[in-house]
Amino acid sequence: MQFLFSLTQKFPFVIKAMLYKKKTHTSLKEELEREIMAKRLKVANQASCIGCYSCMMACARTWYDTISLKNSRINIQTRGGIETPYAAIVCHACIDPPCMRACPLGVLTKRKGGGVNLNKEICDGCGNCIEACIIGAIHLDAEKKAVICKHCGVCTKFCPHDVLEMIEVEDSGEIKVTDTSPVEDTSSVSSTASHKELYGRKEPEEEK
Amino acid sequence: MTTEQYAIPGLKNVLYIDLTSRSYYIKDRRDLYEKYLGGVGVATNLMLEEYIEGTGPLDPEMPIILSTGPLSGVYPTCTKTVALFRSPHNGELGESYAGGHLAMSMRYSGYETIIIKGASQYPVYVAIHNDKVIFRDASSIWHLSSAIDVGKVLRDVEPGAGRRSIIRIGPAGEKGITYASVNVDTYRHFGRLGLGTVFGAKKLKALLIVGNQEIKSPDHNAYRKTYSKLYDTIVKTGLTEKYHNLGTSENILVLNELKGLPTRNLQETSFEGAETISGELFAEKYLIRRVSCAGCPIGCVHVAMLRRPFSKAHEYETLNISYDYELIYALGSNLGVADPEAVLELIDACEKAGVDIISMGGVLTWATEMQQRGKIFTDETMGLQFSWGDKAAYLRAIDLLVQAPNDFYAALGKGVGYASKKYGGEEFAVQLGGLEIPGYHTGLGNMLGLTVGFRHSHLDNAGYAADQAAFNRPLSDEKIAEAIIEEEDRRSVLNCMVACLFARNVYTYQNIIEALKSLVVNLH
Repeated sequence: MQFLFSLTQKFPFVIKAMLYKKKTHTSLKEELEREIMAKRLKVANQASCIGCYSCMMACARTWYDTISLKNSRINIQTRGGIETPYAAIVCHACIDPPCMRACPLGVLTKRKGGGVNLNKEICDGCGNCIEACIIGAIHLDAEKKAVICKHCGVCTKFCPHDVLEMIEVEDSGEIKVTDTSPVEDTSSVSSTASHKELYGRKEPEEEK
Repeated sequence: MTTEQYAIPGLKNVLYIDLTSRSYYIKDRRDLYEKYLGGVGVATNLMLEEYIEGTGPLDPEMPIILSTGPLSGVYPTCTKTVALFRSPHNGELGESYAGGHLAMSMRYSGYETIIIKGASQYPVYVAIHNDKVIFRDASSIWHLSSAIDVGKVLRDVEPGAGRRSIIRIGPAGEKGITYASVNVDTYRHFGRLGLGTVFGAKKLKALLIVGNQEIKSPDHNAYRKTYSKLYDTIVKTGLTEKYHNLGTSENILVLNELKGLPTRNLQETSFEGAETISGELFAEKYLIRRVSCAGCPIGCVHVAMLRRPFSKAHEYETLNISYDYELIYALGSNLGVADPEAVLELIDACEKAGVDIISMGGVLTWATEMQQRGKIFTDETMGLQFSWGDKAAYLRAIDLLVQAPNDFYAALGKGVGYASKKYGGEEFAVQLGGLEIPGYHTGLGNMLGLTVGFRHSHLDNAGYAADQAAFNRPLSDEKIAEAIIEEEDRRSVLNCMVACLFARNVYTYQNIIEALKSLVVNLH
């Protein structure tokens, strides 16, 4: 194990090679892996969250072969039931990740664009990373392996309310300044103006 | 854990809870799930097994059955739970549906169906934490004045935030108002036929379910594909447009225009104040949030904020109140209330009491006409003078009705059918089958559906929709009857999936078959 640790420290690509070997080959996963460039997930509009849990279902469905919420890397939480706004707890893609520092086995390595890559095979479920992540973005799955966001972005594809976004970042994880236009005006046009912008454009096909 | 136990092919676990002995057991009932689709199908057959002829709605032996379907917690918008019981309001089979987090929590707890029997000697609440079921003394929250606050207390006592559902009753359920509802996660309800009353009779204050287990997916690629297809249909085609924009309250102006909006105890069918209580106005002035049931990307729950002064010295409270078409009809147009803030306050009072709002509206509206016709006097009303639109009198009346300090208010707590038998005024006691009517005065289709429909909710046969179709092109009475029968069949299948009926055009027969097939459930 010591050997493996030093090896991964010196040659991060060893981890990558392991990751690739481990991959179950379905096209969606491949596509997502490829997208792990210098992008990261951002909770862009927390206030628009309606608590539908579609993102959690999508995450768990993509990376595990079961149906659940518990295997999701993004965690939609209530803070006083549905009466108060939802909170999305998800990896902040730290530039200098404390979870990585806390891991005694070198399971976690720096990810291009912030956050970490996880070598699931050597994770022994000690839980040090969970303690190090004060935002609570890490937990263990049924096999006692750490569940940490890969910033693959599948959750953004299943968010009906544009809460989640993939943003471009420097390789280091520093945020790139890309948008310099004035803030968009989102005030209601009229009370009957629809949300079609958000929800697609086809007309309803049924009676009212 | 991913185990065979929670495999989709062969949904099977039924949790039997006995409140008398405060005990429970789990029974393998795959026989039911192999024979019936799930949801209301399984629940109906369990009711046939459990019901002993002659058992009264509030007798301890009378079961409450909560059931989810094969798609619950698995596919988008399959977010409802069906409750079956015997209605203390009209004595018939009680059937009610609620959304919120309940279906997902039940499914991930591993209990697709729960049967509650018996009655506790003292108030209890039941907490289900995945495979553990705990009975706890609820005496300290039994007399809370608000059903909403019960959730606030239990949220702190029990773990499982975000993965749980808390269903509870308010004072109306404790006091035996026959149309008491069960509040589900603050903004949703088991309404109409008095499930809250049955909870109260069993001394069951609340049921909390935490579920966070994995469900096996036998053909995961097929499941993923079907999920994406259904999700896209819901989110990207506009089929559910109505529900995620203005919500059901969009219907206020539509029905007002069609002269189908019951007004002042149905003395009229359109309301001069419709504009000020319209979905458009609520959205513009009071809507602050839209939320979803767990597993539904639509977000039809519309939450309004009302700032209300509680002293004359600029002191305020803010109330967050969910509103829908039926509530605005029942406590707005039908009570002659044109002030949207008054409607919100009345909704809030009913939410705290934990009563079905359609029935409460029906009762108050009947009482108003009674008093105006000189059939009851301030002796009965304890000094209150009901007049259309008078919020202050109605707010007090809701309070008195729950407390039942005299015979008149006690009678109002049993619905207009009962009260009109006792005090007269049956000719304007607006009810069908012992149930105050929903807000669709659209024509014969609606009346027929509510009178002879198997199920008891207007949403289960949609007679109003047949009427509305007839507005656009003439339909013979036979055709309307056929449409109702067809629609009731279709909606019964949806109720076996326990899909939300707002997504009825997404879950076509074909899509249901495909959704089941992707879970390796093949229909024969």
